[in-house]
Amino acid sequence: MTTTAPTASTGRTAPAASPPAPETRRRRSVRTAEKRWGLLLAAPATLHTLIWIGAPIVVAIVLSFTAYDIIHAPEFSGLENYATIFTDGLFWLSVLHNVIIAAVGIPISMFLALVFATMLNRALPGRGVFRVMIFLPHITATVAVAMIWLWIYSPSQSGLMNVVLGLVGIKPLPFLTNPDLALGSVILVTIWQGIGLKMLIYLAALQGVDEQMYEAADLDGANFVQKFFRITVPMLKPATFFILVTSLISNFQTFDLIYILTEGGPANSTSVVTYRIYQTAFQEFRVGLANAQSVILLLILVVLAFLSRRIVGGTDDD
Amino acid sequence: MTTDHAPSITGTAPSATRARDHSLRRRKRTSNALVLAFLIVASVIMAAPFLWMAVSSIRDPTELAQVPMPLIPKDLRLENYSEALGRAPFATYARNSLILATAAAALNVVFASACGYALAKLRFRLAPAVFGWMVACIMIPFYATVIPVFLMVRHMPLFGGNTLMGVGGTGWIDTWWALIVPGAVSPFMVFLFRQFYVSTPSELIEAARLDGVSEFGIFTRIITPLIRPGLLTVALLSFEAGWNNFLWPLLVTTSDELRVIQVGIASFRQEASTDWHLLMAGTTLAAVPMIVLFLIFQRYFVQGFASSGIK
Repeated sequence: MTTTAPTASTGRTAPAASPPAPETRRRRSVRTAEKRWGLLLAAPATLHTLIWIGAPIVVAIVLSFTAYDIIHAPEFSGLENYATIFTDGLFWLSVLHNVIIAAVGIPISMFLALVFATMLNRALPGRGVFRVMIFLPHITATVAVAMIWLWIYSPSQSGLMNVVLGLVGIKPLPFLTNPDLALGSVILVTIWQGIGLKMLIYLAALQGVDEQMYEAADLDGANFVQKFFRITVPMLKPATFFILVTSLISNFQTFDLIYILTEGGPANSTSVVTYRIYQTAFQEFRVGLANAQSVILLLILVVLAFLSRRIVGGTDDD
Repeated sequence: MTTDHAPSITGTAPSATRARDHSLRRRKRTSNALVLAFLIVASVIMAAPFLWMAVSSIRDPTELAQVPMPLIPKDLRLENYSEALGRAPFATYARNSLILATAAAALNVVFASACGYALAKLRFRLAPAVFGWMVACIMIPFYATVIPVFLMVRHMPLFGGNTLMGVGGTGWIDTWWALIVPGAVSPFMVFLFRQFYVSTPSELIEAARLDGVSEFGIFTRIITPLIRPGLLTVALLSFEAGWNNFLWPLLVTTSDELRVIQVGIASFRQEASTDWHLLMAGTTLAAVPMIVLFLIFQRYFVQGFASSGIK
């Protein structure tokens, strides 16, 4: 390293010699070193993100105004792609599926997460084990999770769902191959997978709730349900809003699950935005159009992310 | 709700308080038992799919065809694993995932920590702009940029037979470059590191400067050792993201030599579509390493996830 910092070393070895001049010089050199190292240490990560996130965003926006099929050079086509999206029923159907999955799945999984979190907030034996069991679906790769559920939903008599239904005398159901059942089956998996993280955030928020409130309520003779709705729920409002927004964001990024479970089918009944973009780009090779779809997705997510950042900003204490 | 009077319980008559305490404690015990019972049932339901995977991976295929199928397998059939390994190169897939995940963890720890430290502790002119940019990057989902990133990788100049203009060949497609480079730094990890560094004492930096320690030395030898749990958290989260990644490896790898385990089981599914005992053996191989890692390092994962909220 050829870092030229002579003043720093002289300033150190001659502390008592000539009082003010070297001292300020030393401090100034420290400031220069700080500035230089600040830039140097921040540079690799900053350049990396400029190249692999910044540039792609620009490319996506530019290509969204072109007709491009990977083989031929992109050709400027104005707003044609956006006009196409406007009338593309399948794209909006995919958006609708995201909305349905969110509208049905998120509230249910949030409610269950809250119930688990309140229960696990007590000093119970084995609560670490419960927490792990509930959190495992989140830590496991979605591809593996989807494979497991593919097997559970298997239409044969040996799929677990159908084994269980068989125990109560219901005939095997085609969970993933019937257009009326497929989306519901997908939602069930998202609920199961989503409970863990939500529970964790709720648990973290519950640690911040004042125990004395519950003690006071106990003295007033409040029962569990009263305490839950009068103390817990209101105190957890910020966490609830945060979970809601982040869940909405990750819902719009569902891909692996659909790719393995249904490939968007049957009859497009489970297609979601990311899967539609994947198809447009890598199966139909309409890359310009796919980029326009990506820009729409980006707009949806940026709006949601801004909302969440505002909330995080409000509760952050740095 | 008013809580002001809560701490002054001891002010009331002692015998009445004791009786009430007693009944409170008894009520608490019965409600704890109820909660415990509920949690046992609920968590077993939550874990059931994993149990089903594990059980199916050692079942005899003839048993899977039986109607009605016995829920508990009669005997263990570990050959399912060797058979699955014979049908698809799961060992290669696992090795590739291990390399990918380890590289992601190492690169993120090195580059994101450097940037996070600079943003938290060093004053330089561009710091606010860099911080703002990182936060903006966190909001940009990979799915919105995946097509351009793919095109950039494919048209990487002078790689894979490409010309200087990036045409003619395949660029980084089906190379380790494509798997590792685009994900080498995650802006979220930069953000997380900054949070860890912010809570370290700045006085230590000042003292080290007075002792003549170089700025780089302060970063690597004095402050970074203080955030060891943070390093582990970022390493584990990056490793998990690398091991569980699917779409990107799916797009940029074509050969078995470079295929990672999540893509491996996805393609094995087409191949062995009805051999559920083999598919579940493969899925177990893809899922278990992360589960084991989580069980060992639970605390750090939980810390990371709780402070992220976003995944």
